[in-house]
Amino acid sequence: MNRGVLLFAGLAVLLGTTACGSATPRTTATRTVTAANEPLATSLVTAQGVWAIVEMGGPASAEENFWQVFVQHGGTWSLATPPGVADNGGLVAAGSPGSLLIGFRPSQGLVFSPLATSTDGGQHWAPSVLGAALASVPDALATGSSGAELALLRNGDVEVSGAGGSWSRLTSEPALAASSAGRECGVTGVDALSFWPNGLKVVAGACERRGVAGVFTDTNGTWQLDGPSVPGGGQVRVLRLSGSTALLASGSAVYAAWHGSSWTVSGAVAGSPVASGFGSNGSAWVLLGGGRAAVISGPGGTWRPLPAVPTRTAALALAGGETDAFAVAGDTLSVWRLSAGAWTKAQVIHVPIAAGSSS
Amino acid sequence: MPGMNSGLNPADPTLVAAFRSALLHQGAIALAVVVFLLLLRATMRAFRGGPAGNQGWLEWSRTLTGGSGEAPARTVLRIGFGLLWVLDGFLQAQPRMAGGLAAQVIEPTASSSPSWVQHVVNWGGTIWSYHPIQAGAASVWIQVGIGAWLLVAVRGPMSRLAGVASLGWGLIVWVFGESFGGIFAPGLTFLFGAPGAVLFYAVAGALIALQDTAWRGPRLGTLLVRGMGLLFAGMAVLQAWPGRGFWQGGADGTLTGMISTMVGTPQPYYLHLIISGASSFTSAHGWAVNLFAVVAMAAIGAGLLTARRGVVRYAVWFGACFCLADWLLVQDLGFLGGLGTDPNSMIPVILLFTAGYLALGPQTAPVTEGVPDTDGMLGVTEVVGATGARGLVTRARGAAASASAQSFAAVSAIAVVLIGAAPMTAAAANRTAADPIIAEAIAGSTVTLDIPAPAFQLTDQDGRPVSLASLHGKVVLLTFLDPVCTTDCPIIGAEFREAGALLGSAGKNVELVAVAANPTYYSTAALRAFDDEEGLGAVPNWRFLTGSLGELRQVWQHYNVTVYNVPAGAMSAHDDLAVVIDGNGTIRQEVSDDPGPGTATTKSSFSALLAGYARQALAGS
Repeated sequence: MNRGVLLFAGLAVLLGTTACGSATPRTTATRTVTAANEPLATSLVTAQGVWAIVEMGGPASAEENFWQVFVQHGGTWSLATPPGVADNGGLVAAGSPGSLLIGFRPSQGLVFSPLATSTDGGQHWAPSVLGAALASVPDALATGSSGAELALLRNGDVEVSGAGGSWSRLTSEPALAASSAGRECGVTGVDALSFWPNGLKVVAGACERRGVAGVFTDTNGTWQLDGPSVPGGGQVRVLRLSGSTALLASGSAVYAAWHGSSWTVSGAVAGSPVASGFGSNGSAWVLLGGGRAAVISGPGGTWRPLPAVPTRTAALALAGGETDAFAVAGDTLSVWRLSAGAWTKAQVIHVPIAAGSSS
Repeated sequence: MPGMNSGLNPADPTLVAAFRSALLHQGAIALAVVVFLLLLRATMRAFRGGPAGNQGWLEWSRTLTGGSGEAPARTVLRIGFGLLWVLDGFLQAQPRMAGGLAAQVIEPTASSSPSWVQHVVNWGGTIWSYHPIQAGAASVWIQVGIGAWLLVAVRGPMSRLAGVASLGWGLIVWVFGESFGGIFAPGLTFLFGAPGAVLFYAVAGALIALQDTAWRGPRLGTLLVRGMGLLFAGMAVLQAWPGRGFWQGGADGTLTGMISTMVGTPQPYYLHLIISGASSFTSAHGWAVNLFAVVAMAAIGAGLLTARRGVVRYAVWFGACFCLADWLLVQDLGFLGGLGTDPNSMIPVILLFTAGYLALGPQTAPVTEGVPDTDGMLGVTEVVGATGARGLVTRARGAAASASAQSFAAVSAIAVVLIGAAPMTAAAANRTAADPIIAEAIAGSTVTLDIPAPAFQLTDQDGRPVSLASLHGKVVLLTFLDPVCTTDCPIIGAEFREAGALLGSAGKNVELVAVAANPTYYSTAALRAFDDEEGLGAVPNWRFLTGSLGELRQVWQHYNVTVYNVPAGAMSAHDDLAVVIDGNGTIRQEVSDDPGPGTATTKSSFSALLAGYARQALAGS
């Protein structure tokens, strides 16, 4: 009998399982969802046109969100999203005098970031690949006038492009924090990249040290803390950095700062940006939530509040003296233009979103 | 829980058809074995010159319901739980059970339990999910077999062994199927089945497995009724415990919520009316209903704890009424709608305390078994003294001839158990790959071909030229992948990698080949990034091919694969196709490799399917 019991027990353990109980039908597919968690909607200006990036479609949790690139030529906006990659994870853009570089953030099974570059205002895109994942910040890419590119990765590494489309590590968040400049600042994060007009590579982030923005320049392999100082004495975080224009957050205030022979820092505008972007000549805008928005014209300017922006405004754009607001509803983009102190609907674009294609 | 949910529709026609086929196949074998055993016994009796006709069967049939001197309490347990196991076995045969049990019953049951419970349950649930057909069929035949075994084996070692089987299988079901009866999860209540219906099956099995002597006095009955009394008393305290929502009526009340879920299950109209009424009443009078339940369970528990026959009789009657009411009004009979696999806990509870009550009274004196039993297994006469081959034949002839009808019936029941268990045991031993039937359910029918594969001349991820001709003599598993795809292609790439691993040493004669399928991103840098992403860079027989867009378009066209860019932020679209090319350059199979839900189970299944095709092609080359 003992042998029989053992035999049965062994058999049962091998068999492993059956079950009792009741349940109503339920089917769940499991997929990893990686969505942008920083405000990536933005706009910028290059020699080829004015660009805006907004999220459209449905919910990101269902992979029904699709980020779109729009470009304005001659006052008219058109769709210019680079093809070939699902962009549910978000888009990151960097402009240079001669081109616009777009990076696709990873989503679902894609763990690295394809890139696309246009030198003709979005009519054609040249594909390339960054073999790692871009960080989820709007200035994770930067392009210099020499054609060099910088990329901020999800793991905090900063990579620089080389010959033949290769990338190599420039620095990392820990390495920067361990440098003399990093210790002086007390680096707590890297959030943005840029090139100064003279070609110096710039890495920016947040500092523990109060009253100083963590903007670092790479001078012959040595990092230097480049400021600027911000009034108020609070901790400062670099929200955005494009060319030599920065947007800084300290407490509940936002400042604009411009790098030249020395820094020029604007007065404060109260609020926490839900989106921000840049126009030409150092101008910038912030969308502050609750219909609030403000623009600043450039070095020496002051923040100017805008009339309450249209419902569902996701981004603004400053183009040729005009201020446009992009309101998104599913696959429809409405462009509102500020005219005589009021918003007027200037254009409606229906985007052919392929719902379900990423799920 | 990573392995539990295959993501497939449980009503998938391929799965349902395979499940039915397995049940029919194993049922036919079981029937053949039973017929064989009947013929064997008849032949042996004729050969030995035993009593004519059906005398033995008639004698045995009279013992089935207690005529053998079996203690009445034991008879109640044996027949009651035998019938329950048979019913559960039939419930396991529901068409959607194979594909649905792991995802729809086991996983939801475990999801509210602590992580260590989920870890344990996931181990068993993954076996089911990976081998749904074998597991589904095994559970049918094991449960039907154990039930039949309990019913036909009245006394003696065979009967006690049936109790052990019930105990063992019951515990397995309790742990893996019921997540320890949910005792580690919040919301535990006797009214809804705590501490797990199958735990009572296991207890009954343990009691049936006891020696006959254990049933001779009232001691076992006292233990049993007091044990049940403790259970009722403990559950009354749990039911009365504040802060658990049971004293609360309305839609937010715990009890109302539980009954409401039962209202939502598909069931006969009149039963729906009854359970809806119970739900409304509980919602309106939640506090009073819980008070009644607490007082009733406490009273039943107290009555049972006295272990005095006169008091226990009333506790049993009241307990039976209470349990039947709960079974109907709260548990909704337990097995209707969804994927019910048993009638829940109330009938087993009634059987147990009824048996305890009967065991308190005078027991029938055990009848000495007719034939001395020295091997403890078959109840046969031992033939001693013969040696060698002649002795073996003589002993076998004697054993078979003198085996009782009970033993033959019990052996038949055990055979039914083993017929279900054997294929599952073999499948469970292979934990590395899921059953290919899951992939077949997703991919649809495979097209078997015998046509020359279109030639191609491309370069691999490292820039080396590769043509179909250069792969001559090897089996080629060919597919088309977008290197920057976010959904299917990373899964397919991983499936190809795993297929290569499953092939083992045979893999040196198989090439795993993908052709870039994106009209924009097809550079070698993109291919290498994909390889790094999917861990394919170190796979020696992996080749990800590309070329100029013109060359790629030609290959896509020749293999009838459509590739195009979808606008507005969507990925490039292409057909998911796998082609099996033998060593002579002939296409043997074409199959969709759309990975479906892309769960661990489906990935493993596709890998097994691809590896199987490669082996077939190797064998045919």
